[in-house]
Amino acid sequence: MKTLSRLSVLFLVVLFVAIGAGNALAAGPYPTKPITMIIHAGAGGGSDIFARTLSAAFDKEKLLPQPIIVENKPGGSGAIAFAYVAGKKKDPYYLLTAVTSFMTTPLMGITPVGLKDFTPIANFAFDEYMLMVNPKSKYKSVKEIVADAKANPKKITVGGTQLGSSDSVCAYLIEKAAGVQFNFIVFNGGGEVNAALLGGHIDIAVSNPGEALELFKAGKVKLLGVFSDKRLPGAPDVPTLKEQGVDVTYQQNRGLVAPADIPADAKKTLEEAFAKYMKTDTFKKYLADNMLSAAWMDGETFGKWLDKENARYAVIVKDMGLIKKK
Amino acid sequence: MYNIFDNMIMGFQVATSWENLLFCFIGVLIGTLIGVLPGIGPTTGIAILIPVTFGMSATTAIITMAGVYYGAMYGGSTTSILINLPGESASVVTMLDGYQMAKKGRPGPALGMAALSSFIAGTFSIIMLTLLAPPLAGYAVSFGPPEYFCLTFMGLTLVSALGGDNPLKAYISSVLGLLISCIGIDAISGVSRFTYDNMNLLDGVGFIGMAIGLFAVAEILENMEAPIKQVFSDAKLGFLSLFPNKQDWKDSFGAIWRGSFLGFFIGILPGSGATLCSFIAYAVEKKLSKHPEKFGTGVIEGVAAPEGANNAAAGGGMVPLLTLGIPSGGATAVMLGALMIHGLRPGPMLFTTNPEFVWGLIASMYIGNVLLVILNMPLIGIWVQLLKVPYKVLMPLILTIAATGIFATDNNIFDMWIMFFFGVVGYLMRKLGFPEAPMVLALVLGRMVEMSLRQSLTISHGSLSIFFTRPISGVIMTVALISLFSPLFPILWRKYKGRRSVA
Repeated sequence: MKTLSRLSVLFLVVLFVAIGAGNALAAGPYPTKPITMIIHAGAGGGSDIFARTLSAAFDKEKLLPQPIIVENKPGGSGAIAFAYVAGKKKDPYYLLTAVTSFMTTPLMGITPVGLKDFTPIANFAFDEYMLMVNPKSKYKSVKEIVADAKANPKKITVGGTQLGSSDSVCAYLIEKAAGVQFNFIVFNGGGEVNAALLGGHIDIAVSNPGEALELFKAGKVKLLGVFSDKRLPGAPDVPTLKEQGVDVTYQQNRGLVAPADIPADAKKTLEEAFAKYMKTDTFKKYLADNMLSAAWMDGETFGKWLDKENARYAVIVKDMGLIKKK
Repeated sequence: MYNIFDNMIMGFQVATSWENLLFCFIGVLIGTLIGVLPGIGPTTGIAILIPVTFGMSATTAIITMAGVYYGAMYGGSTTSILINLPGESASVVTMLDGYQMAKKGRPGPALGMAALSSFIAGTFSIIMLTLLAPPLAGYAVSFGPPEYFCLTFMGLTLVSALGGDNPLKAYISSVLGLLISCIGIDAISGVSRFTYDNMNLLDGVGFIGMAIGLFAVAEILENMEAPIKQVFSDAKLGFLSLFPNKQDWKDSFGAIWRGSFLGFFIGILPGSGATLCSFIAYAVEKKLSKHPEKFGTGVIEGVAAPEGANNAAAGGGMVPLLTLGIPSGGATAVMLGALMIHGLRPGPMLFTTNPEFVWGLIASMYIGNVLLVILNMPLIGIWVQLLKVPYKVLMPLILTIAATGIFATDNNIFDMWIMFFFGVVGYLMRKLGFPEAPMVLALVLGRMVEMSLRQSLTISHGSLSIFFTRPISGVIMTVALISLFSPLFPILWRKYKGRRSVA
């Protein structure tokens, strides 16, 4: 009995430390207690790496007097995390990771919350996207793919993650620009898409460098084109889609938002701290490791950018037939 | 080819540095505890550890995280066997016979066999990893959507093996599970199905919450009917009774090896996971057994096979991670993410660019497995004391710990309501004689079956021939169909013989 109660106490202690319970209450200039950064996706993904790298750098460099604690709230293409943070109206102690799904999930009608429920704080970087094939593939360039797709509509299989995700938008943009149709195969995650490409089960995959860079370096996949404006420094030999006659560019942003109506001074403090973070070695290494492009935007600029992109996605998502019909 | 002997010596040099040894031990210890704690599985456990690993080198970090992963496979069986509460999802199937053994007064041998089977299977999978990892990279990606469909479809045909004596009720239970697996956003069309605008249902019904409800909560509800008595009053808790006897070993020998083999080779496939492996190993064991009717009443093979399989799967899951940088499931995906935060990117060149990392990890897994057995065997003596606790005290404790664990997994209170809901469902199923296990397996398999079926048919533009014209899928599909229609064979054979004797 004694052993048991001791064990259960131990369990609970481990548990509470683990979930980071315990909020300090104190007065003074913001922040007076730890800030919680909600990650809209599971541990181990791109947003998780972004958030945890940032959190670790804030700890190390003391960019704010209080730490930023990360918490994963995955599910529903981000809908669960969005609703959770939106519900913290006026509370500047919550931050939320915002990427493409921050716009597409509300547009698809999965959640009633939207841009109006958040205060844009900062954007940090853009994820680049690339088109890749198995080295044994008959395609040597995007031009050949387009030509083949024109001759054989809906025959070329393109692997990606769920509809509405960045890679599905990339595939859609090519279809639209080149006037072709692919056979889009949905997988549960980037890793499964890569596995299917390596095994020769799909013809093409759209991926971001974070997930496919090592496979590319080892010659296990071949990059045929990048979705950026200019060639990427990490892969200077790979032409852009524009160079190959397909007028498409695409980037996914990596930003942070807070709940709506937070105090102006808190917003300013956060913006300044994040601007400092952009200059740290940790962030520069993060960019280089993941082949991202730095793209600083303060809250106001980021807000305008979100509005603009949201309008663009509204058209895309509708075109892809993803708007929920009531 | 690389020189395995030299590499292993280098690996052990890395793994036996005092720091790596210490963190290997801490990793397997935390893993055991996380495995014991219901709800929190290795994926959550490793995610919680990520910030702690920032101060370590990448090698020490992966040694710790891998220790948590395979350590959880050891710990998971403890509460499954003792109180019908699955410690993590890969130990759900262990409950079927493990808990019955505990009820019959043999909790010791069940726990002992779980630990030793885990050790044998774990070591087997590390040896395979040592010798065959790079060549197996090709095998890991050889499964496309059609192959996954055939594999998971075969899994579904094994449902009858998980039921009680009434196959019809087993099938009804599994169909209900399949229906439940349809809840949530459909990844392919983006439509939310059966969610009734409840955001918490967008990702579907959580597997572990449902399993804990169906088994642990339902068990408690059932035990509350009668005046609360000591469920395990006749358990023998003497020192020698804690270990498997000669007969137990004889019964389990084949099960451990088959479990190891299945666990390793299915565990390699990205997206499969240890849970699926444990179910398949159990079902195969029952199909091959001379006394299938005894499964579910407390036979030791029913513990040895899934516990071996889930440990072997943990080793198998390392193959695509180390050779391709592709995670095989949730836990390895988190490890991959953590390594990226460290600035190390696993990929096909890892074996050549970071040999001390790879071989250090592999060597540490040998050490970790030995540590786990040393750690777990004495613990069995302590765990079984749990059964001396009056049930009326144990009961609320089980519920509290289960509810907390479930909540902590995704920080979502809704998952707890799922657990209680399925507790009531499980209670009703027990009263009506419906087995719970097929429903749980169907939930695990349902999403995979649906996804891979639709992927395959999208690729083939609707033609079913895709399942038969590809060699691997053709073979698996044939096995699945044989398994499904096997009850008909004796009848056909008799007819054939009858015709021959006439001619």
